[in-house]
Amino acid sequence: MKVRLIEIAAARSGDKNDVCNIGVLAKSAEAYQILKKQLTPELVKAHFGNLIQGQVIRYEWDSIEALNFVCFQALDGGASRSLRMDTLGKNFSSHLLRLEIEI
Amino acid sequence: MPNSVRIAAGQGFYGDSPRAAITIALQRGADYIIHDALAELTLSILQKDRQKDPSLGYARDLEFTAYNLIPMCYKNGIKLVTNSGGLNPYGAAKKVSEILNKQGIKDLKIAVITGDDVFDRLNDFQANGLTLSNIDTGKPFSEVNFPVTHANVYVGAKSIADALAQGADLILAGRVADPCLTLGILAHHFNWALDDENLSQEGLNKLACGITIGHLLECGGQASGGNSYAEWPMDYPLHNLGYPIATVFADGSAVFSKLEIEGGCVTKNTIREQLVYEIHDPSHYITPDVVVDLTHVTVEEVAKNQVRVSGSLGKPRPENLKLCIGLHEGFMSDMIAFFSWPCAYEKCQKFIQAVKDIWANAGLSGIERAEFQLLGLNGIHGEAAISASPEVLSEMNEIGVRLVIKHSDTKTGSMAFKSIVCLGLNGPPGLTAIPGWGKENRTLLSLWPTLIPRKLVQTTVHCAKASEYLQ
Repeated sequence: MKVRLIEIAAARSGDKNDVCNIGVLAKSAEAYQILKKQLTPELVKAHFGNLIQGQVIRYEWDSIEALNFVCFQALDGGASRSLRMDTLGKNFSSHLLRLEIEI
Repeated sequence: MPNSVRIAAGQGFYGDSPRAAITIALQRGADYIIHDALAELTLSILQKDRQKDPSLGYARDLEFTAYNLIPMCYKNGIKLVTNSGGLNPYGAAKKVSEILNKQGIKDLKIAVITGDDVFDRLNDFQANGLTLSNIDTGKPFSEVNFPVTHANVYVGAKSIADALAQGADLILAGRVADPCLTLGILAHHFNWALDDENLSQEGLNKLACGITIGHLLECGGQASGGNSYAEWPMDYPLHNLGYPIATVFADGSAVFSKLEIEGGCVTKNTIREQLVYEIHDPSHYITPDVVVDLTHVTVEEVAKNQVRVSGSLGKPRPENLKLCIGLHEGFMSDMIAFFSWPCAYEKCQKFIQAVKDIWANAGLSGIERAEFQLLGLNGIHGEAAISASPEVLSEMNEIGVRLVIKHSDTKTGSMAFKSIVCLGLNGPPGLTAIPGWGKENRTLLSLWPTLIPRKLVQTTVHCAKASEYLQ
């Protein structure tokens, strides 16, 4: 069965120059195990298409049941030179929460 | 509580409301208030001010807080620590002192911290063999052809601790790294050793805890229910969101709370959510004073709006400090227009085609890049946005078009938009646009992050009564 990520997780994203990180917070211990298994960096990169030009690295953060995705070359060169609306990548969290994963 | 200290978040960015901080000061809800004014691009904004007027270059909301927050803190014995000095901490001290003087406040001690600004030293650095390579791309700085707008090193907590030891009531620093504002306070209060190359593991862990607390405080309301998906639908008031207050103990553990009379909330979720914000490798969070392993942090709700945070581990500080160089890359101009049902989508497409044709015929060769975004469909997520079905698309009430171009000269920006004004009458029916929806010739800056050896950077603390900055 598939669910949208927003059903089982919250997320917050932010910028550091051209790098955007998306912290994904599991809503339960069970959800965290599902995220660890299903929410791969490859899946995240594919979901963002050409918004993310570089690689996506995933860090597991067990003590707070979170996954942290660090996305390189993701902000059109960085907030102060970007032509995008969401210059700071604040809505990378929103877009990721729409992703459907298998549970 | 014995041997603890309370540090509150005051403002989370340049321009943030001081309302929550003023309430905390009024209620004596903290011993210290920190205000992190410097996001990555803030120094670029301050540089524009300084170019127009050399007495500027600091966060100008200090002028407002000098009328209310700063006197309130002084009256109630609360110390305010901020990097709002930006590119001109002395200019900030002078301005604040003038405003305090009008209110009869002369004895408040202001510490000015300098040494982070290395704009004038970049050539020397290169002459001495530093390539100043970009840490993201690896390219050497010698390949850069754009003018430099500013160059500031992220410095650590030592100067904050020193300034407090000298009795400062208000600290105006430049590019002190965000969480180091808090670490400096803690190092002073608990006498934690900083600037020591041979710290014990216990000593490193305390610094790591201090950085973690600083990280949780540096974005103001983001740790107390603001900007929260974890607490969505945010079943609490937002208009009076209380900012987080950390009660910190000698072992580096802390309990986060907020004033009971304020809105917002402090929960395990809001703390977790801020913990992940703008972190890369959580086991290796690099700061000037300590490298922090956040992967063992525990976050526990101990009571309503009371969350305990502990367990960060420290590793020795890095040999190099981060230097961020601002570059003037050119200009951007943008404009927004809306079209309504019927056929809002088709009208947008027709409009975009007309714009492209006008620019092509006008030979606007200065346009280096043009983007066309459809607000309501893909304005925020670009090509990654989920497509709307043809049925939804045909019934859309309204769709906006944002035209945005990058160009190297200001004439191109002005010409590009003048040339398409005619579409107000010649374009698809019902074009709705207001001149304020967009801006011509905004400065486009890029940031060049690099590393330099820490031994090249010395910070200086100057601490004096407000009246002494008036001359």
